[in-house]
This record gives sequence, structure tokens and C-alpha cells, in this order.
Amino acid sequence: FQDQAEQFFRSGHTNNWAVLVCTSRFWFNYRHVANTLSVYRSVKRLGIPDSHIVLMLADDMACNPRNPKPATVFSHKNMELNVYGDDVEVDYRSYEVTVENFLRVLTGRIPPSTPRSKRLLSDDRSNILIYMTGHGGNGFLKFQDSEEITNVELADAFEQMWQKRRYNELLFIIDTCQGASMYERFYSPNIMALASSQVGEDSLSHQPDLGIGVHLMDRYTFYVLEFLEEIHPASQTNMNDLFQVCPKSLCVSTPGHRTDLFQRDPQKVLITDFFGSVRKVEITTEALSLDQNVTGFESKFPEEELATEPLKYAEQLPVAQIIHQKPKQKDWHPPGGFILGLWALIIMVFFKTYGIKHMKHVF
Amino acid sequence: MAAPLVLVVLAAVTVRAALYRSSLAVFIAERVEVASPLNAWKRVVEGLALLDLGVSPYSGAIFHETPLIVYLFHFLIEYAELVFMITDVLTAVALYLAIQDFNKVVFKKQKLLIELDKYAPDVAELIQTPMEMHYIPLKVALFYLLNPYTVMSCVAKSTCAINNSVIAFFILATIKGSAFLSAVFLALATYQSLYPVTLFAPALLYLLQRQFIPIKLKSKSFWLYTMQYASLYLCSLVVIICLSFFLLNSWDFIPSVYGFILSVPDLTPNIGLFWYFFAEMFEHFSLFFVCVFQINVFFYTIPLAIKLKEHPVFFMFVQLAIISIFKSYPTLGDVALYMAFLPVWSHLYRFLRNIFILSCVLIFCSFLFPVLWHLWIYAGSANSNFYYAITLTFNIGQILLISDYFYAFLRREYYLTHGLHLTRQDGTEAMLVLK
Repeated sequence: FQDQAEQFFRSGHTNNWAVLVCTSRFWFNYRHVANTLSVYRSVKRLGIPDSHIVLMLADDMACNPRNPKPATVFSHKNMELNVYGDDVEVDYRSYEVTVENFLRVLTGRIPPSTPRSKRLLSDDRSNILIYMTGHGGNGFLKFQDSEEITNVELADAFEQMWQKRRYNELLFIIDTCQGASMYERFYSPNIMALASSQVGEDSLSHQPDLGIGVHLMDRYTFYVLEFLEEIHPASQTNMNDLFQVCPKSLCVSTPGHRTDLFQRDPQKVLITDFFGSVRKVEITTEALSLDQNVTGFESKFPEEELATEPLKYAEQLPVAQIIHQKPKQKDWHPPGGFILGLWALIIMVFFKTYGIKHMKHVF
Repeated sequence: MAAPLVLVVLAAVTVRAALYRSSLAVFIAERVEVASPLNAWKRVVEGLALLDLGVSPYSGAIFHETPLIVYLFHFLIEYAELVFMITDVLTAVALYLAIQDFNKVVFKKQKLLIELDKYAPDVAELIQTPMEMHYIPLKVALFYLLNPYTVMSCVAKSTCAINNSVIAFFILATIKGSAFLSAVFLALATYQSLYPVTLFAPALLYLLQRQFIPIKLKSKSFWLYTMQYASLYLCSLVVIICLSFFLLNSWDFIPSVYGFILSVPDLTPNIGLFWYFFAEMFEHFSLFFVCVFQINVFFYTIPLAIKLKEHPVFFMFVQLAIISIFKSYPTLGDVALYMAFLPVWSHLYRFLRNIFILSCVLIFCSFLFPVLWHLWIYAGSANSNFYYAITLTFNIGQILLISDYFYAFLRREYYLTHGLHLTRQDGTEAMLVLK
């Protein structure tokens, strides 16, 4: 009984979100887009709907003029698996994938005109999966070949999310070179992080496809996906298994993870807590009756007659005043000592050059 | 010669007034080629507005003018256009008078050397005659006033015109021989933009020549005169700086003006060489390269002084050109100043080798500046490399122009003393090469 109760209260989340970011553009970074789309596909398969996924792709590979197979993005060589299709909803595309937009999505500081599909509408019962891929270095991740996000900024963004109660638990996965440096600075609770390589190591790409001409996937994400293919919504696989994915022999780099900020034991955290959208349903046999005769709701506040005057806009720019304005009085004047000194000097120079004899003409 | 000069002045003033009233005035005022962070009119207005609000104009790295300019424009800001037109006219008149005097000096020296038989027998065609030199002062004034660069600079109301005018007065004072006035104007010019300090050497050489003091390092009279002139210059500089302190009761202007000129923090594109280089440089190298670039401006003074010690006015021309090419924020107004001197060396025309190509380069680059700016900033189909390429080409054109004139000048001097037909030891015709 204790076990069952514990099982029920394993995780306090009620909804799942995913933010999947590919930060590189240009054709030769095909693999980053393929990485992100593969994770998108898995996450959707496991139940997270498009309305809860914020997908940011910095470049369009499917319709890239250099793509020999247009409208496809393959993630296995020999074109086995097409991760693109007409059910892929990209929320931030091309030049919209910037550090500023990414941070705005995370912190929720978004202009009011942003459509719902571009917002991360999470609350304090949301588990969020954040997956980032691209080119990175020690302490930064490069966006679009023109700007970077640093690990400090990312940590501060997560702290803002925590303080605004925007997540219950957060899983951060990053597949870039020296990826472990990106999670070094996190300091907010309930964050678990995985990275494809340690500081000083490069993450390597997996399979080049000779038909397409570029590398299709990165190693770490490839093996993570192989792992995820075996997960289904009811599986009980936990995070410790995810940490074992892609050992050094397969990945060449050493994947890292960080669980010190996470309050639960990783053993007890299910993969589907982050990658899937598993709802908890409690079936009850009790009946609840709704009272038919509910008395009219009495307004507590008596209606007052507000003294209404005709509404009008305040005078924004007093045009009439401006066009008839007199020129402003200058408030600053040079000090008297300065003027005296300057003119004395000028007169001295004049008399020195042209002789004292002119003095008598002045006086 | 007064009447043609007045006509030229009238024509220039008309052109400028017409441009002020047209819609081009706003367009030209925003061009980066004429308005640099040091001398843009917008910034002067901003600084004065800040002063009216009770804040020091040097707060905020917008205003980089000297306090004397603040004083000048505090009262004259409503008549700004008139001020700039008058400044241009004054510069032209000063150059006119200076070149008139300089021509007299040239004749006297030529006559002396002919009587002393210093010239070779067959160089009659190289000697300058009064007939051909009669119109040179007018041409100088014309070149300055009607040069499109000057007109654009004036319409943009860039304070470079004031700097040019001070330098022109300095040249007039030097050529007239008044060491005191020359030191005062040089101090004013240095006070405003720092680089004219290199003009100290040619001015000193000219004044020594005029006093017939030989330029030998061991001669006591040489050192005495040098000390006198240097002390005049330094004292006036110190007096001007202390006076500026009293205007705003603070030393703020020193880092804002001189610190700004020397450390080049603002990397807005201009026609100079600094901005692109420093835009893509890592922080820890920037100090080193700033020092290298600034030394480059001052570096040519001593070698040129050694080579051109007999010809200080040509030295001054070359030095002005070097300042306007290598300074940290050059504008077309600086270019216009040294170009005004080109008629003085028109007798060198037969020795100039690349003048056609160079003039084409300079003209094309001047037209391409706004085109590539538009392509880069507005159309987005070019990038800063394109604009920098034109900047580079323009500067290379200027440098080659100066070295061409330098070569032609030295060649003529050599021919004057060694005869026009040079032969090698075996009797074949020889060519002079600048090594």
C-alpha cells in the first residue's frame, strides 16, 4: 500500500513540455537539424502534443537547394528514416532562432503579440525537456554563427524560470562539443542535465551519407534515439539507463550528467516523466452531487453611480503650444573669468604681433 | 589679384548657400565620409544641448570637441551656416596670401642659386618664371573653395573646416616669418586635433631658413632658436589648455578629446584605416595595434625632415597629407586641405608618372563610397568588406599621389643641380629611381 502510494506520488508533474533547439545554419550542419527533428519525433510519439512543443530550427534542410532529396531530412544512412514530414510544426524558424528569442521563450517575457505556438506556457507542475544541439565550446553555445549564449546566461534563465514557478522539473540535454560546460553553472533546484561530451572533448558526428553528402546525425543523439525507440508510454525505464547510453567506446567522447540539483533519486525518475506526456488518471467511484438550488449570487458591492464625464484621450502632444513656442532661453553661459582671460590673451597676441604703437589708436 | 579672388569667393559662397537650401544638405550631413565622431555637427548641437540641461557635455562619449569650440558655438549656433562659410573663405584667403609670399621666397632663392652658379647649365626649362607662377595663389584658393570635398564638408557643417582654417593661418604666419603667431596657431591646431604637432618640424625648418640659421646639430644658434620656438609653442599650448579648464571647471575634456583621438574607441566606418582593423581585433591585442597605428602617423616626420630640410614648405605639404591619411578619424575635409596645395607644385607635372591613374582612382573611389555604403547598410547585399575595400583603395591612391609628388620633387631638384641629361659612366642615358 505504501508502495502504491509512493508510486502514485512519484512525480509531481501534471503536464509535459519540450523545447527543442537547433542552433546552426548552413547545409553542412544538416546533422544538427536531423538531431533535433529526431528528438522531436520521439517526443511526439511518446505523447507530447505539438501545442506543448517549442521547436526551433535555425535552418531549413528539407527545402535547402543543396538537398538532393527535397522535403526529407534523414537520420539514418541509406535514407532509412525520414524525420521530416507534413506533421512537423516548426515554431521558430531560420533567423528567428536567436539567443534573445530562446531566452524569452524560457523566461516567458514575450511580447503580447506572440502566437501561442511560440510560447512556453508552462506552470509549476510542468516537466520540461530542453534539448539543444549545435556548435559549442567551453562555456558557450553558438547561435546562427553570429552570437553565443553562455552557460551563465542559461543558468540565470533557469533560475528565473524557477522563481517564476515555470517548471516542476527540468531535463536539459545538450549535444555539442564540450557540452558539459553548459550545465556547470546551473544553481536552481530540480534540474537534471546530460551532455554529450566533457570539457575539452569534441562531440563527433556519426554517419555520413554518400547520397546526401553530409553527416546525418551526431553520435550521442543517434544512440540516445536508439535507446528511445525502445521506450513506449508505459515503460518503466529510468534515468540511470539513459546515463549509460553511448559509452566512450561508441561515442568517442565521454558523456556527462549532473544530478546534484535534482531532488529525486535518478533511479526513480522514469524516462517518460520527461520524454512522454503520461497523464495520471485516478479513477474514483464516489459520486458528487451538484446542488440544483443554488441561491442567486448577491453582489457584495452596491452599485454606485460613478460621476461619469465624457471619456477622451489625454493630450499627447500639445501641438498648439509647440508651434507657437518662443525659442528656449539658453541656461548656460560661459563664466566671466574665461571670457576675460580669452579676450585678454587675444589682445595680447594682437599687440605683440603688430606692435605696441597701435595701442594709442585704441585708447 | 583681388578681383578674381573676390569672384571666386562669391562663386563658392553661392554654391554653398544653394546647397544649404536644397534637400541635399540633410543627406550630406549624415554621410560618414564628411562627418566623423570628432567633428560631426550633430554632436556639437548635442553637446550644447547637454550643457543647457546642466550636464557636462563630455559625459556620455558623444561630444569630442574642445571647450573653445563650445564657447564659439554657444553664441553662434543660430548662424552656423554663415560661420562655416566665413571659415572656408578665411581659409582660402589665408592660403592665398601664404602662397603669394611663398612664391616671392621661391624666386629669391632661385635667383640666389642661379647667381651662385649652383644650377647645371642646361636646366633653363626647369626654372620657374614669374609669368607661370602669377596665377598660382588664385588657383590655390580656387582649389580649396570649389573642391567638392570642401563644399560637402561645409554643407555638412563639420568642424573640420575650423581646423583647416587654423592650420591655414598657421601656414600663413609661418611663411610670413612670425614665429610667435605661428607657434600660437600651431598650438591652437594641436589643441583641437592633436596631429598637427607634427607640423612643428617643417615650421621650425622654415623659420630657421628665413633667419639664415644653418641647420647643423652642433650650431648653438640653431638650438637657441629651436628652444625659443618650442617654448613659445608649449607655453601657448599650456595656456590654452588651462584656459579651457576655466570654461567648464573640469578637466573632462582631456580624456574626451585627446583620449578619444588616441585610443580610437568609436569604430564607425569612415574613410580611414582604423575602423575595420579594430572592429575585428581581439581585446588583448588592441592596445598594441593602437600604439602601432598611432606611431605610424608620427613616424614619418624625422626621416622627411632629414630628407627635405632644404624645402620645408614641401615638407609641410607632405606632412599634412600624411596626417590626413593616417589620422584616426579622417574626413574629406582633411583631404581637401592638402589638395589645395597641388597647384603650387604644378611645375612638377612633367615628372609625375602615375597622375592619370591616381586621379581616376581617387575620383572613382569618391563616387563609389556612397554606392557601397548604400549596398552594405540599406540593401544588405554587400558587407563591410566592400566599403573597406574602397577605403583602402582611396587611401592607397592618396599615398601613391603623395609619393609621386615626392619623387617628382626630388627628381627636379636632382636635375637642377646635375643637369637634365644624365648619363651613366658608359655614356648611355640614365634614369633616376627613388630608392
